[in-house]
Amino acid sequence: MSRPDTLRRTLAVARAEWIHNWRDPRSLAIIIALPIMLLLLYGYAINFELRELTFAVQDWDRSEQSADLIDTLARSDYFTFHSLVETGEQIERLIEGGEVRFAIVIMPGFGEQIAAGKTGRVQVLLDGADSTTAGIAQGYLEGVMRAHSARLMKRWAKSRGIPASAAQPPIQPEPRVLYNPELKTASFIVPGLIAVIMTMLAALLTSGCIVREREAGSFEGLASSPIAPVEIIIGKLLPYAGIAVFDVMLCIATGGLIFHIWPSGDRAALLVVSLVYLIASLSIGLTISSVARSHQVATLIAFLTTMLPTMLLTGFVFPVRSMPKLLQYISQMIPATHFLVVIRAIYLKGTGVGPYIREVTALALISLVFVVVAAKAFRKSLE
Amino acid sequence: MAEASVRTKGLCKRFGEIVAVDGLDLRVEAGEIFGLVGSDGAGKTTTLRLLTGLMAPDSGEIMVAGVDVRAYPEDARRRLGYLPQTFALHGDLSIAENIRYFADLFCQDLGEVAERRDELLDATGLAEFTERRAQDLSGGMKQKAALICALIHRPTVLLLDEPTRGVDPVSRRDLWQIVYELPAEGVTVIVATPDADEAERCSRIGVIAGGAIVDAGTPEELVARHTARLIEVATEPTRQARRLVHDMPGVRAVSALGGHLRVSLEDDGPSADEISSALADEGLRVEGVREVEPRLEDALLALEVERDAA
Repeated sequence: MSRPDTLRRTLAVARAEWIHNWRDPRSLAIIIALPIMLLLLYGYAINFELRELTFAVQDWDRSEQSADLIDTLARSDYFTFHSLVETGEQIERLIEGGEVRFAIVIMPGFGEQIAAGKTGRVQVLLDGADSTTAGIAQGYLEGVMRAHSARLMKRWAKSRGIPASAAQPPIQPEPRVLYNPELKTASFIVPGLIAVIMTMLAALLTSGCIVREREAGSFEGLASSPIAPVEIIIGKLLPYAGIAVFDVMLCIATGGLIFHIWPSGDRAALLVVSLVYLIASLSIGLTISSVARSHQVATLIAFLTTMLPTMLLTGFVFPVRSMPKLLQYISQMIPATHFLVVIRAIYLKGTGVGPYIREVTALALISLVFVVVAAKAFRKSLE
Repeated sequence: MAEASVRTKGLCKRFGEIVAVDGLDLRVEAGEIFGLVGSDGAGKTTTLRLLTGLMAPDSGEIMVAGVDVRAYPEDARRRLGYLPQTFALHGDLSIAENIRYFADLFCQDLGEVAERRDELLDATGLAEFTERRAQDLSGGMKQKAALICALIHRPTVLLLDEPTRGVDPVSRRDLWQIVYELPAEGVTVIVATPDADEAERCSRIGVIAGGAIVDAGTPEELVARHTARLIEVATEPTRQARRLVHDMPGVRAVSALGGHLRVSLEDDGPSADEISSALADEGLRVEGVREVEPRLEDALLALEVERDAA
């Protein structure tokens, strides 16, 4: 097996696959429309859900001012008033049971402080287990309270005949997050979604490419040529690696243009890491495509094997550290776990990949393993 | 050449309970156009797939162009051209792109390929369609394009699986024109077909049934071996007549063919007049009776009847 021959056969497969993708309307729709659609769908689904956030109130003060604050919150579009509670245990029970998304505790003397032109204290308790919701709730809450605070300030300054700028802000919310102290912010959603969508999409892209040839009959032509299995696998991977990186760019652009969240760190590095990462998913898709009996089955398996573990076991929804030990080990083997760390850092902390060399190495190793698995799973036979 | 071009010995392949190929012995000499003739399910396609190494046999030996297929499948594939029953080109690639694809898979010199391609495109009349996508071609054009791709690496052995199924007569003639010229280039051809007309074009035939070769020889030899006399009777109604003639002593096989009966007879079977009067006795109208030259189809039919009887 001489090297130029290997390269030539590999590129022959890659070229045929490449041409197929740009000529087949269905493939083209998956490549271009699906990532944008999924990002919009999930992005908005999460935003919609955050319209009517229910909350409970523990009011130690029971003053005119505290009633005014509760009324303002209840009338806001974002929040729905649930109930007044007496104890801290009640709050925990409501949050744990998912009946309310957050609770506010108005401290004793709140009304007096405001009347005196000082700052009244309000504690906000957020459910950190659902970090995305908590982050967004916190953002809304700060906005609503700031507006309420500004109104009070103006009123107070006017009654004293002094300029509003000389007044102290009357309300100071003190957020405290339950269950997940390092609260993750709203911009967490977009990089996480990109990771999940691309994992699924990459596997979906390649899941068809061998079983499709089997169904169409062109596999018999390919398999009766002197090409080696690994040449077929690499040849199939090449065009999809390019397509996957293109789709990552598409996702980044959609996230930026629609949700106004752009990666603040090294974008070129992000693309390179994405490529390393997605080779694993692409290889999983190829493996499925080698063994699946039909295109439909392959699509379904690709979806299940990538979407579910990526959503549940990688820290996208549930923090890895709060999982049982066994699941933590499993999560280390899922490439998205490591990729999420890197993509979130590049989006949020504005870094490059330098500090995350451990994660990138893990991704490279996992991808390599999956390429080998795909090459081993592939059979040049019709049985 | 002393070494046969294609040789199998005791080849067996089963799929679960079904025995597809059952101790198949095949010997095809270099430069032959060999017809592997049998009805559907006889084991033709499985045999060809075993020859290409696309399926692994349960037991038996396979040598193709001097290469042990089981041990060195890739070496064998370099020497093999294969036209599968299903369309094996990429539908959304043009003819030119498909040719390039196979030239690359077999690592052929592109200069030589260009020469070979133009020659084959001319012979098939596809020269003006090279930019058309394979999926948009007619059935006959598809097969011709697939044949070009199977020949682009100048194989020494060419396997054709029902090459003219669903192909119009003109394309069929074009296809065979190319196949006829291959032995002169030293190419051995094996054609799997259920069709006696197609089998008649072969230089030698192996009749396959139940996964084994039941008889082999030139078409003439097979005709001589399995048919003695053949009588054609024009009669109405054919169904009733067929049953009647079938039960006469000395009759091997009867087939109905559009208002005609073709009656295959033992040497000591009834004469044309005896058949004619037997039918007339039953009140059937007989419009004509004549002795005809038996053809391969009659031989294959007779062979099947013999096997059923055994």
